[in-house]
Amino acid sequence: MKTSIKRLSWVLAATLSIPALAHHSFAMFDRDTEIVKTATVQRWAFNNPHSWLYVNITNEDGSKTLLSLEGASPTQLIPRGITGSTFEPGDTLLVMYCPLRDGRPGGGIGWAKLADGRFVSPADGGCNGNDASISRWQEWLKQGYTTSKEATAAGK
Amino acid sequence: MHRFTQACWLGLSLLLLTAVSSSAFAQGGGFGGGYGPPLQVVPPPKQFASSDEHYAYLLEQANGGTKHTLASVPRWDGLWVTAGNNHMEAFIDTGNFGGKVREGVLTPAYEKAYKERWRQQMEQRQVDYDRLGECQPPGMPRFLLEPYSHEFINLPDQSYLINDFGPSIRRVLIGREHSNLYGTHSWYGDTIGFWEGDKLVMSTKYLYPADFTRWSPMTSNQFESIEIWQLKKYDDGIERLEVQATFYDRFAFVKPVNVVYAFRHATELQAADYRVNQWECDQTNNTFLDDEGISNFHLPGEEGFNDARGYTHFPELPGQSFDPIYNTTLEPGAN
Repeated sequence: MKTSIKRLSWVLAATLSIPALAHHSFAMFDRDTEIVKTATVQRWAFNNPHSWLYVNITNEDGSKTLLSLEGASPTQLIPRGITGSTFEPGDTLLVMYCPLRDGRPGGGIGWAKLADGRFVSPADGGCNGNDASISRWQEWLKQGYTTSKEATAAGK
Repeated sequence: MHRFTQACWLGLSLLLLTAVSSSAFAQGGGFGGGYGPPLQVVPPPKQFASSDEHYAYLLEQANGGTKHTLASVPRWDGLWVTAGNNHMEAFIDTGNFGGKVREGVLTPAYEKAYKERWRQQMEQRQVDYDRLGECQPPGMPRFLLEPYSHEFINLPDQSYLINDFGPSIRRVLIGREHSNLYGTHSWYGDTIGFWEGDKLVMSTKYLYPADFTRWSPMTSNQFESIEIWQLKKYDDGIERLEVQATFYDRFAFVKPVNVVYAFRHATELQAADYRVNQWECDQTNNTFLDDEGISNFHLPGEEGFNDARGYTHFPELPGQSFDPIYNTTLEPGAN
């Protein structure tokens, strides 16, 4: 028991100490800006070299925008309990992402809150979706913030 | 006391989780480092002028090598993932993302190029460009630290080192001489090797120019490696496949560079029944280099977008979708 717990601690440490991995740079993402939106899943592409979550968001005028959010590779996500069926077309989610710097409708995904209330993090290096980020955002959401800039401007 | 010890280890785990997940780059170039005892470089017994000389010396010391049979050849079965390396220590004075480029390790031209990469990494937290974004294979030495998943299959006369990034396959021909019939080099070059007991000694030549990572130095088309692979066992059931490597590159390095890499059993992937899969970067990749020299993406609806879950060239035929379970499209508002 002691040995297996010790080994588990090594595995956990090793798994999560993997740096932000990708086959490309993350320079296209504004990682200092985090945005939360309610979204409907259009497609979850659990693909190499990166997963992509395509979601629809509703604009103020009622039109829809397809938002393309990049996540980590399947081998990084499976240890986090995420598989190819974690998100299904039509699912309603809360997603947190860091937008593309050039303003096009895309970004790096941080985390997603599922319909059952669970948070999952498909994040790669494009946006911070770790436990600390989720905890921080749980507080910010309670206070009605939907962007990190609003929350930090308010001194939160 | 027993419970106290367990609680300590769990506490340590949580501490590590908090620490490492809060800083993705805490272990520079680590790629899964922190599994088992610290990795230690074992430098070669003496300096060699070339990888050929190095390999010949090791082969002679091993009396021509161990002739394994199918029953005796070491088995490294199952899935593996990277478990750390120390290549950053060779090039960065602190060995992590807080340091500066070591001077005099790289040749002037390669040192200058690396300093620019490192400036981008330090100032922007990102290097603008990664050649893998163009779907170039990792190649060598990047194969040794790419994450994703690996399989290592040993037979008496050859070994297959497989990474599902690409996917990539290095083939190690046991007891053979180097050969290159192509009139050029390639991403994985030509690898020969021999066994010395449970150690697999390898020589790789004829490689394309590549790099260690995008935040690490580039390598030239004269890069060559000597690697010694061995499965090491430590207390508490820790098993680690360790690779002691010496890299030769007369264009990039002032002198040979010694680095250690490691892999561990991918227990979490095996538990999930994960399998190494075939994937084609050209089909799934949408990265391009924009006018500012920064990696960016083609998005759905834009020219150049590859729809990884779209259709073959014959969409009018039934069953030609690459999304056979969900049959989704990327038209806004379709769901």
